Formats: sequence, C-alpha cells, structure tokens
Amino acid sequence: MSSALRRYIVVRILLTIPMLLILVSLVFVVLRVLPGDPALAILREGASDEQLASFRAALGLDQPLHIQYLNFISGVVRFDFGESMTRSIPVIDEIKTFFPATMELAIAGMFITTVVGIFSGAFAAQHRKKASDYIIRILSIILYSLPIFWLGLMLQMSFGAGLGWLPVSGRLSPGMTPEQTITGMYTIDAILTGNWPLFKDAITHLIMPAITLGLVLAGIFTRLTRANMLDVLEQDFITAGRARGLKERVLVYKHGLRNAFIPIVTLLGLQFALLLAGAILTETTFSWPGMGRLVIDRIYDRDFTTVQGAILFFALMVAGASLIVDILYGFLDPRIRY
Amino acid sequence: MTDTTQNPIQALPADLENIGILQRLWRGRIWYGTEWYITVFGGLILAVMITMTIFAPLIAPYDPNDFVGAPFTAPGKGQQALLARAGQSPITDTADLTDVVIGVQRNRNGGNLAKELGAKGKRYQTEDELLAGLTSGEVDLIFVNQDLVPELLAAHPDFEIVAEKMGHRFALGTDNLGRDIVSRLIWGARTVLQVALSSALFSSVIGIALGLISGFVSGALDRVVSLIMDSIYSFPGLLLAIAMVTMLGPGLFNVAIAVSVIYVPTFFRVVRGQVLSIKEELYVEAARSLGAKPITILSKYIFPNVIPSVVVVFSLNVADAILTEAGLSFVGLGLPPDIPDWGYDLSKGHSFLVAGHWWMITFPGIMITLVAVGFSLLGEGLSEILNPRLVKN
Amino acid sequence: MTTNDILYSVRELVVEYHTRVGDLNAVDHVSLDIKRGEVLGLVGESGCGKSTLGKALMRMIQDPGRIVSGELWFNDVELLSLSNEKMRQLRGSRISMIFQDPMTSLNPVQRVVDHITETIQVHEPKTSDKAARARAAELVDRLGINRNRLDDYPHQLSGGMRQRVMISLALALRADLVIADEATTSLDVIVEAQFLDLLKELREEFDLTILLITHNIGLVAELADRVAVMYAGRMAEVAEIRQLFSDAKHPYAQGLLKAVPNIRLDDDELYKMPGSPPNLITAPTGCRFHPRCPQVMEICAQQAPKFQEVSPGQLASCWLYQEHPEKAGQAA
Repeated sequence: MSSALRRYIVVRILLTIPMLLILVSLVFVVLRVLPGDPALAILREGASDEQLASFRAALGLDQPLHIQYLNFISGVVRFDFGESMTRSIPVIDEIKTFFPATMELAIAGMFITTVVGIFSGAFAAQHRKKASDYIIRILSIILYSLPIFWLGLMLQMSFGAGLGWLPVSGRLSPGMTPEQTITGMYTIDAILTGNWPLFKDAITHLIMPAITLGLVLAGIFTRLTRANMLDVLEQDFITAGRARGLKERVLVYKHGLRNAFIPIVTLLGLQFALLLAGAILTETTFSWPGMGRLVIDRIYDRDFTTVQGAILFFALMVAGASLIVDILYGFLDPRIRY
Repeated sequence: MTDTTQNPIQALPADLENIGILQRLWRGRIWYGTEWYITVFGGLILAVMITMTIFAPLIAPYDPNDFVGAPFTAPGKGQQALLARAGQSPITDTADLTDVVIGVQRNRNGGNLAKELGAKGKRYQTEDELLAGLTSGEVDLIFVNQDLVPELLAAHPDFEIVAEKMGHRFALGTDNLGRDIVSRLIWGARTVLQVALSSALFSSVIGIALGLISGFVSGALDRVVSLIMDSIYSFPGLLLAIAMVTMLGPGLFNVAIAVSVIYVPTFFRVVRGQVLSIKEELYVEAARSLGAKPITILSKYIFPNVIPSVVVVFSLNVADAILTEAGLSFVGLGLPPDIPDWGYDLSKGHSFLVAGHWWMITFPGIMITLVAVGFSLLGEGLSEILNPRLVKN
Repeated sequence: MTTNDILYSVRELVVEYHTRVGDLNAVDHVSLDIKRGEVLGLVGESGCGKSTLGKALMRMIQDPGRIVSGELWFNDVELLSLSNEKMRQLRGSRISMIFQDPMTSLNPVQRVVDHITETIQVHEPKTSDKAARARAAELVDRLGINRNRLDDYPHQLSGGMRQRVMISLALALRADLVIADEATTSLDVIVEAQFLDLLKELREEFDLTILLITHNIGLVAELADRVAVMYAGRMAEVAEIRQLFSDAKHPYAQGLLKAVPNIRLDDDELYKMPGSPPNLITAPTGCRFHPRCPQVMEICAQQAPKFQEVSPGQLASCWLYQEHPEKAGQAA
C-alpha cells in the first residue's frame, strides 16, 4: 500500500465522522424533536400521567433537549444504546443477535444484484438500441418497480408453499441449530465448522430471500451499469483499442467494464440505503430474524430503547458502508492510488 | 407541412418552434422512436388508473369495507345454487318462505342469501353435514356453491336444482373477511395515488425551494443544507418513514408526510446541481451585471430551466413513493385498517399464503407494480423527451 | 491498382451517416491511392470527412455510420470483403492508427506496458508474457521513454510521453500503414516539433507509410510528400506537395493555401474564404463547393465534376479543367 493510498484512507475515515454525526442527529431529530411524543407513541392513548412521567424519566426524556442530545451522542460513541425495555438485556446484545442475519441476507442479495446487474447492463450497453437493449431496459424498469415484498410473496407461494422446493420462511429448519456461532452468518459458520447438513439447510433458507432482494436491486444496478458503460464505450480509448485489433468482447468486458466499475461503485455506496430498506421488507416477508424484523417487532412491543438503538445502528451501517465504498474506490482507481 | 411527399423527419426541425406542446408530443414519436412509445405506454397505464381513482364510487361493485361475501371466495366464484330433494321443493310462485328452513354451510355465501329470501337459515359446519341435513329432511332447501352442482347431483340423484346462479359472483374473489377484492383494488388505487402524489408534492415544493436557495446563495448555508440532505439521502428511506410514522401515528396525512421526507433530497440534489450550472451561463451573468435582482434571476432565468428535470424526478419519485407506502402498510405501520390499501391487503394475504389463497396476494401486487411501472416508464421516457439539450438540437 | 508501389487504394468509397434529421454522405465517392513508403497529407476543414475517411480505411465506422459502397484495396486484398475477424486481425498489426488526444486514448486504469503487451499478444497469441514485455521495453526505449516508466499508469505521464506511447502502440507490430488522425492537435508547439522529428526518424527506420490527417497545412508542408484536399465529403485535389504549393488547381485548395498564416506576411490581411462549409444533409447540388467558389460557373450547380488528372501527378475535381457543354458553347 502506497503512502498516498494510506493518506487517502485516513482522510476518508476522518470524513466519515461528520457524516456519522449528522446521521445520528437525524435519528435524534426524528425520535425526539419532531412532533410526536415518544412516551405517547409507545404507551399509546390512555396511559396515566404517572406512567408517562416514569417512562420519560427512565429515558431521560424529561430533560432539556440539548442535554438529551449530549447524552444521546455520548451513548452512541460508547456503543451504549441502553437497555431493552422488554427483554432486560442491553440493546447492543439484541443487535448482536439480529445483525448477522441481516448481513448474511445483504451479502447474498448484493452478490446476486452485482452478477445479474453488471452482465445485463454491460450486455445492453454493448447492443445499444437493439432489441436486446430495449428488452433488458424494460425488464429492469419492471424489476425496480416491483414491490420487493410482493416478489417475495410470489416466490414463497410458488416455490415454497406451492412446489415445496424451498422452505417458506425462517433461517433454519426447526431443530437445526448451529453448534457454534463464529460470525453469526449460518452459511459461513457452517462452512467454517464443516457442518454440511447445516450448510445445506441454511443455504436453502437463504436462496429465496436473497433472490428477492437481489433481483429488485438488480433492476437499478442494470440501469446504472448500462448508463456508465455507454459513457465509457464512447470514449477514445475504446476506439483506440479497437484500432489496435482488440476483440470486441475484450473491449467491452475488460476495458469498458473496468472503467465503468469505478463510478458504479460510488453509486453503489448511495444505493446501500436501498439494500437496507429492501432487507427490512424481505425480512418481514420471509420471517428472517434480522435488524428490520427487530425494529418492526419492537415497535409492536413498544420497546422504545431497542427501536431507537436499532435505528441508530442502521445509521452506523450506512456510514460504515460509505467508508468501505470510498476505500474500495481508492483501490480501483489508480488515479487516486498514486 | 403542406407538401406530403416531403420526408416528415426532414420537415421536423423547421417548424418545431411553431407548434404547440401537444402537437410536439405527438410528433415526438418520429423523433424519439422507442422512447416515445415507452412514455406513452406509461402514460396510458396511469390514465387508466387515474380514471379508476376518480370514478371509484361508480366503478366499484361493492363497498370495499363491506363483508359482501363468504371469506376466501376464489376468483370467479361465489354464486350459489339452491337444491331441494327431488320433487319436494317448497318453492312455488306464491309460496311464503318464512317457514322454509334453508341449510347453509359455514363460510359460504348462502347465509346472506337465505336472509335476503326471508327464509330461516340453519348453519352447518361441513358439506357432509349440510347434505345429510337435506337428505334427512331437517331442512327443506340447501345453498351450495354453484360450481359444485354437477358433482353433487351426480352423487345425490335424489336432489334437484331449484334455482341457479344466485347472489354475487366475485371476479377476483374475496379476502379473509369476505370483502370484494375488485372493489378493494379500485378504492386502493385512490388511497395509493393520494398518498404518493401528495407526498411527492410536499417533497418537491420543499426540495425545489431548498435547492434553488442553496444553489443560488452557496457558501456556508449551501454546505450545511447539502450535508443534511446527503445524510437523509444515504439513510434507508423506508426506515426513516417507519420511524416517522411510529412517532406521528397512523393516518393518510401522516404517512404522506413521512414518505415525503425521504424524497426531499432527490429534488434538492437535482435542482441544486442545475442551479449551479445555470448560474454560470452567460445569459445569467449578463442579467446579473445589468443589475437584475436575485429574485428576478431565480424566478425568470433559473427556475424555468429546472422544470424539465423536476418533472422527470417527480414522476420517478411518485413511482418510488408508491412502493414505500405499500411497504409501510405491508409491515403494518401505514394506514388505519378502514382505508382500503393494497399494501395492507398484501400483508393480510401474507398471513394466509400457506393456505393457498393465492388471489389475496396476487392482485394487489399486480396493481402496485402496474402503477409503479407506469410512473417509471413515464419518467424514463420524459427524461429523454424533455431534455432541453435534445430538443434544441 | 495492382501496381506494387501502391499500398492502399480507395475506390469510389461512400460512407453514410444516418441521423435523426436525415442521412448524410460524410464521404462521397472518394478515390485515393496511398503509395508505399510515402507520407500522404489529408487536409480539409473540420467536418469535411477526413477523419471519417481515416476510420473507413480501417473499417471502423460505427453506428449510425455505414460504408455504403466502394472498394478498399490494401496490399491487393479487398478489405470490405473480409470477415470481421480477418479485418480485426489486420487492425493494429498491418494498419494502425495514432489518435488525436493522447490524454483520452489510453485506458486510464491500465498500465502502459499492458497496453503494449496486450496489443502484441492479441496479434501474436504465442508470445509469452515475458517476451512481450521485453519487446515493449525495447520499443519504448527506441521512442525515448525510460523503460522504468512501463509500469506507470497513463495519468502519470506527460502529454508528449503519452503520444510516444500511442506511437509505440501503432508500431508494436510494424504496421505497413500508420494513420495519424490529428495526432498533434492536442500537443503544444515544442512537443509537436519533437513529435514531427520523431516521426521523420521512424519513417526511415520502420519503412513506414503514413497517412497524416490534419487541418494544419504547415504540418503537411513539413512532413508530407503528397497532399489530398477534401471538401464536404469529396476529394477536391490530390497533388505532390510542391505542385500544390506552387500551382494548386482547385479553387478550394487555392483558398485554403491563401488562408494559412505566414510569418512573412505583414501588411496583407489574411485571406478569409467566403461562406461556411455546407450542411451535408442538404448538400449543395453539383460541385459542393460552388456556393463559395470565386470562379463559379453555371454548370457547377448542375453537375458534379469528375475527379481526374489535370496535370501529371495532379488530380482535381473542378469544371475549370474539364470539358463541359458550357465551355463548348463558349468556344463555339
């Protein structure tokens, strides 16, 4: 790693701090400042004044806003999200239980998105204005207009409930438990421990949710890839490569794609939010016990601290993803590396 | 264009300036080819949907919240046949039905019909019990599903048909409470368009205003606003909406507000970017040096130029807002249950998925997709057609 | 055209572009011979079709353009009848091209050496990586680039160095014909002079035939043996360099030469040709230059002149040098 690259990464890490601060503040504004009293929102109408007061005192909601804000920030900095109001365990422990499921789903979905999106996007760009280009474009519009949960429902209905090929929901069959949790992602844990029956079970449960999440995002990804590929394929160095007798396939998939990939990765960082939003819906459809499920279930359970902590954790994930993308960018583009 | 032999494509640029916007749109099919057809197709889908929304009370066969049929009636089903023991039908032209007992089966449509006929109803749990009731003479008549008639008559030659095809037929079936799905779809279009259009309207007004000011003033204000907008943009939209709806409580207006927050940054980014580039254009510089007031420059020179991209972003955002609204309802945090809503219907259908009631989840999903595709196609096509750079060339 | 001293012979080439507002003939019935070992300058205003012609010589016309008709004889092979694959094998190995902008003509995420080895290996697949790298090193050495720059990325090189890399790519397989398309336009004057010197040296050493496409008459005067002048998609005049400068036949060529700035020119104002190049979608009838021609005749608007020899070694398409009814009428 060159010193320039190292400097670039350090700068990126430092730049993440203000972003993180704003994201956390955003969560604070939504949960504490905007109209809507958390105590009322959680305890609902009909709660006695005493109940409301003790709820507020327990969360520090009775203090002035700026004190609340400072407490809020210092909690995030210490990774202290308080204690769950329904489970009497630290919220961070809850997150540790649910987060790996979301990670597993997101990684698998991202994988499908990338593979499908890049190839169809590059293919469409290569055959610009031909029939295959229009078909791919229209398909991708339909894909990203699909309600993600509905695609999940349709898959569940046909391949799960109907044909019985794949399990309808959950992460593992009843009775299956990982003997040892390493990453918390069952497929990876199963590989690490060499537990093949567990791996098979985990992967069959993962297929449908991952395809659901992956396909919908693939629509967007196809579009991004196509647009960027068109830009790149019009550039002089592609013509110059053609004049050197390089094969069309090499021009498109090696020279073109490698260059188009740089802006795509940046855009991908912005699309990470979509991945997470999609994961929330996919988790609901497939009863996948991840962070999205955690938020929604705890909203029903009126567990304010856990909801708040989970939403904050989402903010951390967003900031982390943007940092990872920036660093990846540094590795991909030699113009930054040196 | 009096000369009909002239190539229409060649005639196009000459008189493009002099024709109205509608004619220009119609000519577009020559100019833009496939893009044009994409736009028009999207527009047609939306035209149908919007008509449906406006005339919902006239088109919808039933009230979307009424339990008009038996739960889980499959598409095309619902009509009943009245059977009696052969030759013993109590029904005559003048007969009084008050003393007649009609056997009905639980969760079938017969109950309401018996009431409408003014007869007494006796409810049986299963089909076998119902048939046995008629055979034994416990009841005089029974209601059975129309489509079962041939099978039943074959098995029970001692029965005869008294009346056929009675009651409602549900083209797309009914849901778990016996509400008509067609009516719910039609009324649901109204809900979804209301929420999506009003939230896009809110976010466009705020986003455009912020974008114009931020881009025009620049400096510290611009940096702060941009940073805030970027962080909202990078946050998962649905989660933000979930958090806001939780705090604000359910309701049409609150959902629209929650959804609109997500889309303010998209308008902001597009408008701000345009303002930054237009600001540098010579004619704006010239106006400024001639002493035009900032507000004049904004309203007269800059604002008209951002309209085309705003229209495109608006269309695409409505498509996305529809999906977000449906997602909110699907996770159970959207609208109160008495408002017909596709996302809510899907979440209900989800609970009965394994039972095989496919119609409950299929049709609302198709509707959401259709409307979202309509707005996406419209936006995609318009982005080509309204692109001022292309029109000028 | 099978004479051995002609390397590339273009016959009646037509290249058409299909645009939203109509079709245009960017290259219209152009014929041209390139002699083995010569430097042929191809000049004309921007948009006259000279770059299109250059691309057409390599069969690299992209959508929405199309070669409609004509013949392209290269080394006695008709290129338009070759398969795409055969044609691809010729590109970069027998005919190569140096592009206008060395900044954008190199892949920004590919190392310099990989550009060269990739080119060598696509045409000579049996070459080992090591051998290809050795050849690349030798080549850049010859072109005056330090071989330890081989592993650099294009953005780390100066403009002049990048142009040398472009040349090394064109020479990597010892192409017979190098087409230099506005190759110096983006270079500054000093680098341009160095580039010209280098090209002169290489011409001897590599036995090159060069088609120098440019709008810069000075560059042509410096380097070319013969000059072809294009106007609005058609060939106006082809002549030896001396012939052209001393006795240009076509009024357009004459105007073009008068419009060249000259250091010795003091009180005379620079000649400005009246009018502007035509829109090729609605090209003028007859000779396409007639609306701007100072010596226009009636026939010029009605019929296009033939492109034919007007004096030994000098060809022009102009009614001034051809028999036509009007002239016959005058004589009578």
